[in-house]
This record gives sequence, structure tokens and C-alpha cells, in this order.
Amino acid sequence: MPEPIEIQLKKGALELCVLALLSKHDSYAYEIAARLADAIGMGEGTIYPLMRRLQSDGLVETYLVESTTGPPRKYYRLSDAGKQNFTSQQAAWKSFSGAVESILGGAQ
Amino acid sequence: MTRQAFMARLREGLRGLPPQSVADIVADYEAHFTDGEAAGRTEAEVAAALGDPDRLAREIRAESTVARWREERSPSSAAAAVFAVLGLGAIDILILLPILMGVAGAIIGLAVAAIVCFFAGAFVFAAGPFMDPPGGAVTAILAGIGIMAGSASGGALLTIVSIGLMNALVWYGRLHYRLLKPALEPQA
Repeated sequence: MPEPIEIQLKKGALELCVLALLSKHDSYAYEIAARLADAIGMGEGTIYPLMRRLQSDGLVETYLVESTTGPPRKYYRLSDAGKQNFTSQQAAWKSFSGAVESILGGAQ
Repeated sequence: MTRQAFMARLREGLRGLPPQSVADIVADYEAHFTDGEAAGRTEAEVAAALGDPDRLAREIRAESTVARWREERSPSSAAAAVFAVLGLGAIDILILLPILMGVAGAIIGLAVAAIVCFFAGAFVFAAGPFMDPPGGAVTAILAGIGIMAGSASGGALLTIVSIGLMNALVWYGRLHYRLLKPALEPQA
């Protein structure tokens, strides 16, 4: 059983990472999952419940793009609320991680 | 696990959700398999990376019932959200269930008391003046109105408190989502 704090950290970070990826460019779920699965070691399937939650919270919007192979692909983009949310979460994360980092560095 | 087996278990887990949402969710995962195979992975690899379909279905269900509770404050949507959140296994049911049942019992009891008080007030208001009450008919009418108003405001307060408790429970359940569990505890 992993420590709850590890779950909480990864969960918070996952949402922030998804918002960060989408702030650079619109993307589709497979691409987001493939990038984040390697980077922070999450199950790929967890991206879908998260995307649905972000969508129901109004942070992301979807649109369909015709695909050369197979059915149209669902792309996600940040809504205005999502952009604001990302900016404030990013600032909070930076100040928090900076503070933790300076304490961890001093403890060595 | 094959693509077919994964999708069958996911569908099974999603049963009871609105057909439109199930179709959307299933399409998402079908697309994931298609993309994964286009990237040169086998069905079994994609299924393993996706995680346990039963758990995914439970998380999606919890998410959608919580969304419904936010839109529609009704006892049935509240019950659905509570059960879905409990179903996540995020909360230790054995510890929490007796407490929850106690709280729910108290709320129901208070609600019944408020309703009974309201009708008692109505009785005092309507029938009191004819029963030769102490202080006269006007006192009985005013007392009846007072009791009704008191129980109505008590009922309103109770509603606010139960909505608050419900939101706290949902918040707690979400905080403890094991969304990342497959990553931290590799699937067997």
C-alpha cells in the first residue's frame, strides 16, 4: 500500500501536467496518456476519468478532427476557465515546490 | 487481456449510466486501442497499460454520479453519489458506515420531527381558536403561526446542513480517489 501522500502528490501533479500540456497545444487523449505515462508513471487508463472530470468542471473543451486513419479524433483544448486555473495552479505549485526544495536542500 | 475482453468488462461496469455517456466512454477507450495498435503495440500491451477495467468503470461511475448530484440536489442523486463514492473503496466502509447510518438516521428523524411540528402548528392555528384556549383565540392563531414558521425554518436549516454534509463526503471521497493506483501498485 503506497503512502497516501504519494497518491495525493501524484494526483495533484497529474492534473497540473495535463493542463500544462494543453496550454502548449491542443491534444488528444492517447497522446496525453503516452507522454505522461512515461514521465510520471501513471496508468494510461486513468487519463480518461481525469479528462471527463476536467470537462465536467469546465476546464477543457473537446472538438472533433477528421482523421486520415479511422474515425474522427477527439481533441481537447483549455477553456478560458482552464487557462486561469492553470495559471493559478502553476504559481501555487512553483512557490510550494520551491519552498520544499529549499528545505530539502538544506537538510542534506 | 484482449481488446474485446477489456471492452466487455468496461461495458459491464458502466451498466446503468445513461446510454449516451456509455457510448462516449466506450468510444474513448476504443480509440485508445486503435491509436495504440497504430503505434505498434499489441492489444494485450495496451490493455495492461490501461489498467483494470472494473476499477476504471467504478471511477467513471463515481465521477458521473457526483456530477449529477451537483446538478440535481435530490435524495436519489445523493444516495447514488454516496454509494458510488463508497464503491471506490476510498473510504474505509467498515469504519464509516455505522457513523454514516447514524448521521442519516438523525437527519431523517429531525426531518420527520420538523414535519410533525409543522402540522401540529397548523392544528393549533386552525382548531385552537375554537377550543377556548388560555389567552384567547388570537393567541392560539399567533402561536400556531409561530410553530409553523419555526418548524419550516428548522427544516430549511436541516436541508442546508445535509447538503453541506453531502458535499463534505463527496470532497473526502474525491480526495482519496485511487486514480493513480494502477501506477503505484502494478496490476497482477
